[in-house]
Amino acid sequence: MHPILGSVRRLAFYLLAWILIGLLLSAGLGYGRGGDWLTAVFFFVPLGVVYALVTQSAWYVCRIFPLVRSRAWHLAGAQILAAIFASAIWVAAAGAWVRALAAMGFDAAGSLYDPQRPLLFVVGALLFWLVSSFFYLLIAFDASKDAERANVELTLLAREAELKALRAQIDPHFIFNCLHSISALTATDPAAARRMCLLLADFLRETLRLGGNEQIPLAEELALADRYLAIEQVRLGERLNVARDADSSAAGCLVPPLLLQPLVENAVTHGIAQLVEGGTIRMAATCSGSTLTITLENPCDPDRPRTRGVGLGLELLRKRLTNHYGAGDAVYAQEQEGHFRVELRIPVVTGARA
Amino acid sequence: MNAADMLRVIVVDDEALARGLLRELLGAHADIEVIAECGNGFEAVKAVTEKKPDLLLLDIQMPKLDGFDVLELIGTEVPVIFVTAYDQYAIKAFQVHAVDYLLKPFGAERLAEALTRARARIGARETLPAKALVSEARATRTPLERILIRDKADVHVIPVAKIDYFESQDDYVSLKVGDKTLLKEQTLSELEQLLDPGRFVRIHRRYLLNVARLAKIEQSMTDSRVAVLQDGTEIPISRSGYAKLREIL
Repeated sequence: MHPILGSVRRLAFYLLAWILIGLLLSAGLGYGRGGDWLTAVFFFVPLGVVYALVTQSAWYVCRIFPLVRSRAWHLAGAQILAAIFASAIWVAAAGAWVRALAAMGFDAAGSLYDPQRPLLFVVGALLFWLVSSFFYLLIAFDASKDAERANVELTLLAREAELKALRAQIDPHFIFNCLHSISALTATDPAAARRMCLLLADFLRETLRLGGNEQIPLAEELALADRYLAIEQVRLGERLNVARDADSSAAGCLVPPLLLQPLVENAVTHGIAQLVEGGTIRMAATCSGSTLTITLENPCDPDRPRTRGVGLGLELLRKRLTNHYGAGDAVYAQEQEGHFRVELRIPVVTGARA
Repeated sequence: MNAADMLRVIVVDDEALARGLLRELLGAHADIEVIAECGNGFEAVKAVTEKKPDLLLLDIQMPKLDGFDVLELIGTEVPVIFVTAYDQYAIKAFQVHAVDYLLKPFGAERLAEALTRARARIGARETLPAKALVSEARATRTPLERILIRDKADVHVIPVAKIDYFESQDDYVSLKVGDKTLLKEQTLSELEQLLDPGRFVRIHRRYLLNVARLAKIEQSMTDSRVAVLQDGTEIPISRSGYAKLREIL
């Protein structure tokens, strides 16, 4: 699509620019060189408008010989050849127009043309190159705009992928175990089976919903953890206890979604579920100054077989937080004598939901 | 139906609900008698030792001792049907000759199918090569992080880091853990292969040493050498053992 001929608005601006060029030429090459103002303007302005259309051909030259990817001498040769052609047309048009003007009674027009033909030719070539440069600029501008758009699209795509991955983090075995528990409850305690169904549905729906947000209040993240733990409590019974302590200012802070969920799942599957006696998962969140501190503690079996995945989950979380908040390590994890503790320190963000 | 045709079954799962479901579903089979329910691997080993069941329904994901650990400890005494929500152990379960592999959630039909297979296996009195089964079961989890020892009905779980050295005793291996000595039915060569070669070195035909315990090497008379451990214990080093030790240190 031609950038100027394709749009009426642009064409209008372009022609306006050429009328200005025509007036400048009238002043530079017309007035005082044997012509009066009126003759000069009548000569150069229409000529300029005609040449405006002729020089549109520069677009195709510029397209065929892009600035960066063409060889220098190819490009120079093409531009010189094109300028000669265009300028020849320009000079010929000037000649024809002079005769027409003379026929209309502008006798002085001849003095603008005949002695100045070489100069007109040079000016024609220079004007052609001016238009060429303009097109090259336009191309570069479009390219940078495209690049920017591609960049934005890429960022969006990456975010979407991240969120998709987040939502896909729901452990299928968790769901299978859940369904098995429901299946077990249907005969012995139908009401409990129904409760479990609803808990599971709520948990899944919330996970999908929260995962679609940029940021969510910590309170919602904690509520999701509660649901998850309630389900696991049905499964693990007395082995799983939960203690939670979040002050109200912390609960209102905005955090990336599904921030705690992998940690809570780790605490259950690699902590409590690996202990014959079970234990208590402790969650706490406090705000102090500009830092939101979230801690999660659970007992664990120091002699448990090391499974892959635990360190990986923490590593992913660390990367995610670094991406989200910029530089700085935000995840502190340590295990000591059967006690695992992970602490997140992130900047306090409050205000309207993004 | 006479008592001889009854299948005596032990159910092992760390989730009470899952045990309840199995009990319920097994109740529909007149020839099945659930003689014990266990909530973890320790109880399972104990129950198998004491009650000698005909069939074991065994969960895999359990604290401390998982289903495969239990199987390693009880050997091939009892046919096993694995019960788990995880499908990634199916191949391993096949390798240790499990009768079947039930994926949670499962229904009455699938369980009945597994029981039919179990009856066929028991009816055929199939016996399995015990040694092969045990080492195959272990092969997929090397290097060993811990040693499991069955002491009659009790189970000891010993992290390898706590072991000073292993000493060969014919078909057994004795483990030195501080001032305790434990016996395990396994050969030293088998253990050597299963342990991290960077941490445990066969310094002698009869000894496998935890390198972290080594204090110094002393030259005794002639050209034989002795490893002195941090607690002062002395263990002979063979010539090839010395070469291996030097490679690591």
